[in-house]
Amino acid sequence: MATAVASSSSSLFFFFSSLSSSSSPSSSSLSRLTLSSPSHHSLSSSLSISPSFISLSTKAPKRTASSLFPSFTVKAEKKNVLIVNTNSGGHAVIGFYFAKELLGSGHNVTILTVGEEGSDKMKKPPFNRFSEIVSGGGKTVWGEPADIGKVLEGAAAFDVVLDNNGKDLDAVRPVADWAKSSGVKQFYFISSAGIYKPTDEPPHVEGDTVKADAGHVGVEKYISEIFDNWASFRPQYMIGSGNNKDCEEWFFDRIVRGRPVLIPGSGMQLTNISHVKDLSSMLTLAVEKSEAASGKIFNCVSDRAVTLDGIAKLCAQAAGLPVEIVHYDPKAVGIDAKKAFPFRNMHFYSEPRAAKELLGWSSTTNLTVDLKERFDEYVKIGRDKKQIQFDLDDKILAALKVPVAV
Amino acid sequence: MASMVVVQHKQPSSVIFSSSLSDFNGAKLTASVQYKRKLWQPKGALRITASSAKKILIMGGTRFIGIFLSRLLVQEGHQVTLFTRGKAPIAQQLPGESDTDFADFSSKILHLKGDRKDFEFVKSSLSAEGFDVVYDINGREANEVEPILDALPNLEQYIYCSSAGVYLKTDTPPHFEIDAVDPKSRHKGKLETESLLASRDVNWTSLRPVYIYGPLNYNPVEEWFFHRLKAGRPIPVPNSGIQVTQLGHVKDLAKAFVKVLGNEKASKEVFNISGEKYVTFAGLAKACAKAGGFPEPEIVHYNPKEFDFGKKKPFPFRDQHFFTSIEKAKSVLGWKPEFDLVEGLADSYNLDFGRGTFRKEADFSTDDIILGKSLVLQT
Repeated sequence: MATAVASSSSSLFFFFSSLSSSSSPSSSSLSRLTLSSPSHHSLSSSLSISPSFISLSTKAPKRTASSLFPSFTVKAEKKNVLIVNTNSGGHAVIGFYFAKELLGSGHNVTILTVGEEGSDKMKKPPFNRFSEIVSGGGKTVWGEPADIGKVLEGAAAFDVVLDNNGKDLDAVRPVADWAKSSGVKQFYFISSAGIYKPTDEPPHVEGDTVKADAGHVGVEKYISEIFDNWASFRPQYMIGSGNNKDCEEWFFDRIVRGRPVLIPGSGMQLTNISHVKDLSSMLTLAVEKSEAASGKIFNCVSDRAVTLDGIAKLCAQAAGLPVEIVHYDPKAVGIDAKKAFPFRNMHFYSEPRAAKELLGWSSTTNLTVDLKERFDEYVKIGRDKKQIQFDLDDKILAALKVPVAV
Repeated sequence: MASMVVVQHKQPSSVIFSSSLSDFNGAKLTASVQYKRKLWQPKGALRITASSAKKILIMGGTRFIGIFLSRLLVQEGHQVTLFTRGKAPIAQQLPGESDTDFADFSSKILHLKGDRKDFEFVKSSLSAEGFDVVYDINGREANEVEPILDALPNLEQYIYCSSAGVYLKTDTPPHFEIDAVDPKSRHKGKLETESLLASRDVNWTSLRPVYIYGPLNYNPVEEWFFHRLKAGRPIPVPNSGIQVTQLGHVKDLAKAFVKVLGNEKASKEVFNISGEKYVTFAGLAKACAKAGGFPEPEIVHYNPKEFDFGKKKPFPFRDQHFFTSIEKAKSVLGWKPEFDLVEGLADSYNLDFGRGTFRKEADFSTDDIILGKSLVLQT
């Protein structure tokens, strides 16, 4: 798996680590050197000159001087990180990538998955690949967040906790309270960009109004009150090997079988589909730049949108096959679009402005390349040959053949 | 090199934005604005232009962007000449501009009268004058630039108003400056100009605006909506109305143009310049209504393919998503837009359409074609 290197115009990262599964904890050196130039604010162009003398203010550093002496911080601090991970759903894969990236950077990782190690849920990706975390030097445990104190009894103190499980305060509070009482410094939460209020003026940016009654909002509020150093990450849709929930597969299923891709509405709806390594790289950067991340909200997404039509086309390109896109009006056809289609039937588009500005993070998602890899795996596991029922699709197609009265 | 220019102001330094800069009425006043008032600046400080005052030529400058840009540059203490054919007055008092400010500006702004398509004249008149910096606001074709470059071998900077229209349509917006451009676009002249500048040994900067709006806009962007809102007419929007576009206020664009002047970080760079947020077509109709104090409009969706509008444009925007990321300008230049959309549209309304002025008469003929048809698209 590729190491995500976050390099941006404002900082240089030298990544002396690898994510190979054969590395052992003791061998990972923590020689990450961060060279960052001061923030890119242009020279202050106002100087006051009094009538009696001319003096140059020295407050405005010349760009050349600052690039001669960049401030650099050697991030040699090894952190002990706990990930509390959901056992299903679209966010499950985040913990998997985050764990591996942290291990590759030389940190200690424990991943606590909700439920039981032996459950059926653990037979699905990414859980069926957790051996990769173990061989990377991480610990995997199972249990209930409500009993987290007991589950982690005897464990060494954690510096950072990421709750990648709860969707509301009921689920997160036990973890947050335990973390607080056991001296955890950084508490991070995987929230959701779904909490933003719909807007006529996309994109959703950090600070925009959120739905007050959303469970995630309650969590964000609570952790901001009890932790000095907290951060919340709001993701959207993800692709990546090890995904627990279908994303691009929905399109591949139809494209390889020569079936039309049924898209509700105009197909112009914008959304974010990120490679999950964008999320893990952002989270890892926040762990390491803890001051910069403290108290902040981050849209945890790639920096490009894609339309619903666009993702269908890109999937077809990745498959090297043609695609027939058919639009339909869910109401007219009598279908619940949520059941028939994997993405929201509206603009759902956020931008990762805070991560870029505050952490110097940059996106590496490239859907053209990423979808090609995903399609190769789709074929490799034989899913293109799988027998699939397309009941809802057939229902929609049948309804569309009926002339719609105007 | 650092620009060392004192901005003179007659008001006490505690006032962040004096009303003498009334052409920026309504601008959101924050400390990040171009003019930073230092508290210790003595009252009545003399305007001293240090050696960085430039002799600036603006190609154009009497129609829209240049009107605001030229004022900013004159206020900064530069000597500013407008190269125009002289069809419009060199200086016209802006709505909301005080008499004193206008008098000051019109006493300082200079005119070089000529046709920029007359390349021989351009070359001879410019080399006779000599300029430090050229702002090319109205250039369309690469061949218009060559005589200017030839005439001014010691030119410090060539600052070009390009267009985001050069970008190749994408499935993954927004457009970043690194994205592919379209050599076949309607704006290929802009692209060819950028290429020419890059190929010559000149310090150039190119700004790519999206849709520009603001008082005195001659492109019927906001005006198109205002006419319909004032007439109490529904707003016909093609297809779904969720197409996302981006508007940038002309005053913010003018400030960006000033930000790149003498700025080594802008050397040989392209910057997208527009608003912070994007907007849907339907959302823009609503924002215009809000800005002008009109009730929320009725929006009628139609399929453009079902109509023949002849040569007339039924809607002022491209029927597609079209927006850019401005993060490069923000992070590299430290520039950011002051106006948000409704504020900016209100500024335009209050200083222009709302006073009874506009560039194009209302023409509802395409609307009536659309509304006349009994079948309209439901979304």
